[in-house]
Amino acid sequence: MDYPIWELALGGGMLMAIVAIPHVIVAHFAVGGGLLIAVTETLAVKRNDPALRELARRSSLVLILVSTVFGAISGVGIWVVAGLISPGAISALIHTYVWGWAMEWVFFILEIVAALVYYTTWDKISKGAHLLVGWLYFVGAYMSLVIINGIITFMLTPGRWLETQAFWDGFFNPTYLPSTLLRTGIVILMATAFMVFPALKTVADRRGDVLRYLGWWLLGGVVLSFAGYRWWEAALPDTVLNLFRGASPALASLATTRSFTLWALTATLIIGVLILIAAPRLARGATAVLLAVSAFAFFGGYERLREGSRKPFLIHSHLFSNGLLVSEIPAINENGVLARSGWAARGSDDPVAVGRRVFVTECSSCHTLDGYQSIRQVLPTYSELAAVAGADAAGGMVFGSECAACHSDMSFADMREVLPSPDEMAEDPEMIHDLNHGMIFATVAQLHEMGEAYAAAPRGEMINTAEFYTPYMPPFVGNDAELEALVEYLVTLTRDDETQIALKGGDR
Amino acid sequence: MNPILIPALDAAGLPGPPWLFHVLLVFTFFLHLVFMNLTLGGTLLAVIAHLKSGGRRDDYRGVLSGRLMAINNYGISLTITTGVAPLLFIQLIYQQYFYTATILLAPIWLGMLVLLTVGYYAAYLYKFRGAPARGQGGGLWLIVSALMFLLIAMIHVAVNLVHAQPEIWGSLADGSWSVLTDPTYWPRLLHFVLAGIGFSALVAAWWAVRRAGEGTDIDTNTAIARWAWRWALWTTVLQVVDGFLLLMVLPRPVLRGIMTGGVATLGPLTLGILLGIGLLMMLSRVANPVDKPGLVTGTLATMTLVIAIMSITRHQVRALYLEPATAQFQVQVVPQWGNFVLFAVLLAAGLATIAFMVYRVLASPASGADAA
Repeated sequence: MDYPIWELALGGGMLMAIVAIPHVIVAHFAVGGGLLIAVTETLAVKRNDPALRELARRSSLVLILVSTVFGAISGVGIWVVAGLISPGAISALIHTYVWGWAMEWVFFILEIVAALVYYTTWDKISKGAHLLVGWLYFVGAYMSLVIINGIITFMLTPGRWLETQAFWDGFFNPTYLPSTLLRTGIVILMATAFMVFPALKTVADRRGDVLRYLGWWLLGGVVLSFAGYRWWEAALPDTVLNLFRGASPALASLATTRSFTLWALTATLIIGVLILIAAPRLARGATAVLLAVSAFAFFGGYERLREGSRKPFLIHSHLFSNGLLVSEIPAINENGVLARSGWAARGSDDPVAVGRRVFVTECSSCHTLDGYQSIRQVLPTYSELAAVAGADAAGGMVFGSECAACHSDMSFADMREVLPSPDEMAEDPEMIHDLNHGMIFATVAQLHEMGEAYAAAPRGEMINTAEFYTPYMPPFVGNDAELEALVEYLVTLTRDDETQIALKGGDR
Repeated sequence: MNPILIPALDAAGLPGPPWLFHVLLVFTFFLHLVFMNLTLGGTLLAVIAHLKSGGRRDDYRGVLSGRLMAINNYGISLTITTGVAPLLFIQLIYQQYFYTATILLAPIWLGMLVLLTVGYYAAYLYKFRGAPARGQGGGLWLIVSALMFLLIAMIHVAVNLVHAQPEIWGSLADGSWSVLTDPTYWPRLLHFVLAGIGFSALVAAWWAVRRAGEGTDIDTNTAIARWAWRWALWTTVLQVVDGFLLLMVLPRPVLRGIMTGGVATLGPLTLGILLGIGLLMMLSRVANPVDKPGLVTGTLATMTLVIAIMSITRHQVRALYLEPATAQFQVQVVPQWGNFVLFAVLLAAGLATIAFMVYRVLASPASGADAA
């Protein structure tokens, strides 16, 4: 929280998604491709099968151009972006797992060198030596996954690490093994999805065989993915599982994501079996794209579910996504966030300016002003209140979309009774300002109280966020003056000059 | 300096003693520099050779250009791969300074990823669409690639200068571009560019001398070796001049720190300068490198050694820049020795595996039906 903040209109989360999503797809293909290509070449040599050899060879060109170039650059890109948008958080992770990353780097070197050698030595070295290179590539790539998976799963389910802070307690956390199985299935799915394209170029009389061969791989990938996913879910602590499972999940959108993820896997299975195993003659570029999209959708859905169920933490129950440590909440509440960060303290003492800096420091890792997760959009505006106070149907729609989330205990009619009438608003527009101020103050105060609840939660255990006011948001931390300043700033975002003019009868 | 702008140390502490991470940072940065020199300097030299050849593969400089970029198909990947480790360790021991610098220069730091992607794929386009594949052309791809790598070097120099000088953070945050007017910026950049070209020229000369010694394309390889050798000589002359200039424009406290640091700082610097002058003597003694293959190998080994020593001096300069800031913080150490040992064992095993793989590949040439 004490770093300068890069204010990005796009939003840090969106930027990370742009870099990370292609990277994880390519990175998983790089691992699965290593396995499939090595096995395929081994079979080609044993069976003296030129069609399989050609599949391995063509796929290795894709592997080198996509994985070693784009995969490596985007992998570095994730670090670059993480350092820009969440420096405190990535620093905390690196301080805990630097040796894990260092070990992963060793396998990364093996992977890259083997990939380059493998691709450039077709037709130049003996079959045995070439196979050795291919298998070493796979070992390097898979071991990278095995290590990184420990760090990724640690972030969601740190397990005993919360108590002991011991490296291996965090690494072999409750979801480590299920996730390793799941990702093993995913790498096979990604590799199959990519390799269908070079397989389509196989000579006509062998195309069906080669596609069917990939179909069995796909089937294996689906089975492993499904088994891994169900095991992963079973290994999740209730505090996380309750966010998206059960009769009334705390985060309905995540429950939808779960459903989407499993349907995407089903679609992958159906399309894969149809175009690869049952009727390979139907396989075309378009159907291959369809298969790839459904496989990516499954993978993307799972990643979204994993990331979403970790909210609001970067390391569950330890570090929030905005870089705030659970352990530092009391001190910041006591001394203020401006005392914590020289960058937040830098500037004018005007309350609105202070509030803006508090917002940037605490909220901008998730919220932009008008872009992704726009803060302005979630705040009640003059025009929205005027619409709800009005008697027409538009008011009901505004109530449903903008108010119901916070006022779930009230109906539209109840709300209209509480609000001043449109005439009263027109007479005294500042009344709406006061209303907005009150609502925003109440919300921020609840977020502040939530921080106290976090601070009071037993240490060394997973915190059950489902019990909190907003299970997906970090708390507000800071002293009373900073809370007031944040509210003052947020209220300025609710002003809608055109509406005020209209309420005043068009008198500018 | 406004000390409150420097973020706090990470509460988790360092998972090992600071000296260990400083050693690892310098060592892995040196590895990165070797490949980075080939990527940056090699591509720049390839552009020069390509332009001199008129873009034709039947000119020896055209052959050299293709050869340098063939090396770079490996070199660029290995530059990125070896760059990961120093990026990891700098985030560990200089997190407060490094992250702040990258955030203050966020758009261009992020832009580096785009430049790298374009530069890398342009290098492949030169290989597949230019002189190496078609006998001529491809100069545009080569120039694009070199330009991208040069811009990346500029970004890295800027980030390094900013992270080492917390006193300029405030003005940078207010929109100043003072980093470009820093007196050390251009000499520092030139130091990297000249080292890259000189090192790549020596590698090219060494390779050509070996090929000529094996009796392969003797005329072409002799011409390449002579041409590359001259480039190594003149860039090293300029490098020595630029090195002294860079030393002179360093901030006084930093220069004083080096001069009063005893053997620890003066040792590497003096050795680096002496070896640099030794390099000049070796380079200037040879008119035709093919006649003296031993000297060529020795010169390349010496230049590699100079790069290693200068990596140490560079690190010490950073430490001196940052001394007023780092002195305010007490680093907490929570060692994970078992994990370090595991890393060291894996590193040794990994490098041995790579060596074995390369040995098997070199020892297993095959063609026709016997080949993979």
